[in-house]
Amino acid sequence: MIRAVFAYLLAVCGMLATSPTPANAGSVVADLSQSNVSITSGFHGIELLLFGAVDGRETDDIIVVVSGPPTDVAQRRKAQVGGIWINVETNIWKDAPSLYQILTTRPLAEITNADTLARLQIGADQLRLRLEPEKPQPGTEKPHAGRLLQSFARNMASKGLWPADVGSVKLTDGALFRANVQLPANVISGIYDVRILQFRNGVVFSESETNIYIKKGGLSAMIYNFAHDYSLLYGLFAVAFAVAAGWLAAVAFRRG
Amino acid sequence: MAPNTPVFLTLKMYIYLPIAEISMHIGIIFGLGGGVGFLSGLFGVGGGFLMTPLLIFFGIPPAVAVATEANQIVASSVSGVLAHMRRGNVDFKMGSILLAGGVVGSSFGVLLFKYLRDMGQIDLVIKLSYVVFLGVIGGLMLLESSRAILRSRRPGATRRKLHQHNWLHGLPLKMRFRRSKLYISALLPLAIGAFVGLLAAIMGVGGGFIMVPAMIYLLGMPTSIVVGTSLFQIIFVTANVTLLQSVQTKTVDFMLAGLLLFGAVIGAQFGTRAGALLRGEQLRGLLALMVLAVCLKLGFDLAMQPSDVFSVELLK
Repeated sequence: MIRAVFAYLLAVCGMLATSPTPANAGSVVADLSQSNVSITSGFHGIELLLFGAVDGRETDDIIVVVSGPPTDVAQRRKAQVGGIWINVETNIWKDAPSLYQILTTRPLAEITNADTLARLQIGADQLRLRLEPEKPQPGTEKPHAGRLLQSFARNMASKGLWPADVGSVKLTDGALFRANVQLPANVISGIYDVRILQFRNGVVFSESETNIYIKKGGLSAMIYNFAHDYSLLYGLFAVAFAVAAGWLAAVAFRRG
Repeated sequence: MAPNTPVFLTLKMYIYLPIAEISMHIGIIFGLGGGVGFLSGLFGVGGGFLMTPLLIFFGIPPAVAVATEANQIVASSVSGVLAHMRRGNVDFKMGSILLAGGVVGSSFGVLLFKYLRDMGQIDLVIKLSYVVFLGVIGGLMLLESSRAILRSRRPGATRRKLHQHNWLHGLPLKMRFRRSKLYISALLPLAIGAFVGLLAAIMGVGGGFIMVPAMIYLLGMPTSIVVGTSLFQIIFVTANVTLLQSVQTKTVDFMLAGLLLFGAVIGAQFGTRAGALLRGEQLRGLLALMVLAVCLKLGFDLAMQPSDVFSVELLK
């Protein structure tokens, strides 16, 4: 945290130092309290501080969009067949952001209009995701794409990956901004894009981007890599460990 | 957090499970291990049929729950079989024939598991298997134990014959099993082993709850050696499942298995001591009720309309 505050002050100084230069089309500078996150055994989600400086006015707005590494997501739909509820169709959303979070200074609708949001692909309903549909089983009706996207966003929200609530960005004197970016415990490893957009009178005035790098670390990385790179050896090790533990338990409690 | 939440749950003792890729409270893991371990010690069962559904309930992906539970059962079977070996209650010859069938059946089961998982139907097959097999076994056990309890209240009741001869005894490849006092076709234990192995791989259980009645009623083995022999073959079947799942689906979470078995080992010791206070048929009756409760819960889940008919899974 001290490092974060220090970096924040540095950014402020940097902004002050560069402010005499002509303000052509504004500029956003942003950094994170921590850009490398490792998923270790104690990992239970993390809160990062996004902060920066902007060459702007008090009435300007900031929108921050955090999106996780694109991944294919299977969306399944259940229907009642023969008295029980079973999956009747699987649709694949190609390269969907594994995390999608928006943070703003004011409600989105007050910052700009729907067309602009659509053009910039801001909002879960504005992402131009590609759907690989599957034919549902005979006798069931396929829901239309709009309902699929709506339920997809809802399911991702309930996993904490696409929070439905817009987070808040604090802009001070039209010059400094800060926001808390909350990453849940089930984030996947990869490169996360953080887009920072400065809005003035409903249009984008300037834009900047930074990244969060998330990867497994420590013991959990060791186990994961072992399981994936040397899977046979991993299996043998798991069996050997279980046999040893079982034997040890039997011996220990026989005396006790 | 609610004011009446237990203190230990308010502590931030979460552990990130590297294969399941979720973070879980350490109290829940030890609680599950200890609780299921206690019941398995009490009833003399492996407890896989309780642990796997519970793990799924707590958010572990079904594939990881099944494969990881196989790994944990290896440990509990080893510790259980040693006690039976000391008393000479293991028929190694019968166990070897059963496990030969079991290795074939469980290998096929892992392949089938992967296929069903790719089709997106594994959850359904796991739940259906539980409902069917727990329902049948639990129902039969409840019937048998309630009869035994009634019989014990009426003195002078007759005992049934140890086993009867039927067409199963006409099969070829006859073998002598001295410890089991049997002379039967090897095909029968091979087939039983294969079938139980298949179920073990799909349901994430050792399969003792099916194997033990099959040994008593189908093979006609003496009851004193069925548990030890069943545990003996379960070690190899679950070790085979652990290995194959590690290679095929990479879903064995070593961290989770290790933590679960730590709790289970301790819980089992208390369970065994508590079990000595109850009578055999009472224990079997209670176990039957528990088996039926799990069966009903899963059956209910399948029959009720889910709160959301849509679900998502990140594919990597």
